[in-house]
Amino acid sequence: MSDEKTIICRCEEVSLKTINDTVYQYSCSSREVKLRTRAGMGYCGGRTCRHVIDTIVADLNQKVITDDIQLSYRPPVRPITFGALGGVYHENESC
Amino acid sequence: MRMRVVNHPVLGNLPERNRVTIYFNNQPFQAYEGDTIASAMMAEGIKTLRNHEESGNGRGIYCNIGHCFECRVQVGERKVVRACLTPVSEGMDIYSLSVFKKGSESHC
Repeated sequence: MSDEKTIICRCEEVSLKTINDTVYQYSCSSREVKLRTRAGMGYCGGRTCRHVIDTIVADLNQKVITDDIQLSYRPPVRPITFGALGGVYHENESC
Repeated sequence: MRMRVVNHPVLGNLPERNRVTIYFNNQPFQAYEGDTIASAMMAEGIKTLRNHEESGNGRGIYCNIGHCFECRVQVGERKVVRACLTPVSEGMDIYSLSVFKKGSESHC
């Protein structure tokens, strides 16, 4: 993970360098890194990189940030079309 | 280099299945019934199923179990499905999702 070009968030293509810079500049929590860099906001709902971001930011911020709320999984668990949601038509593979 | 494993050391030979023609970006491809879109395209040597909305980088199969949505493709007019989970059917029209052109709103 030392290579700063490593992509952390695959959906939004956020690299380790971007995250490191953000934390150095704003010394923020993982949630703020997400808000600033979109890491963890991608199509997969943060499933792939959520934990990685938490770990990286926790390492960088040695002092524990008290109000650090964990990055959470965002609903819906699977994307769903408005058609399926609104009952206009309903098919099983509704993504 | 054929990507499809026709005779497998453990599973033996691939059972005979009838062929299916699918269209990917208006190009015909051969597949077998029971293939998923992702496996059929990979067997035909196509690994780039879509391009990233921002950077345009080629994307394809990543988890192959319907979890990561990297393989999402557009089927038919406006339905977007996961290629790794969707079985192929005869004459299926598949289109790859591509870069969002700035200021264009005609994107499904």
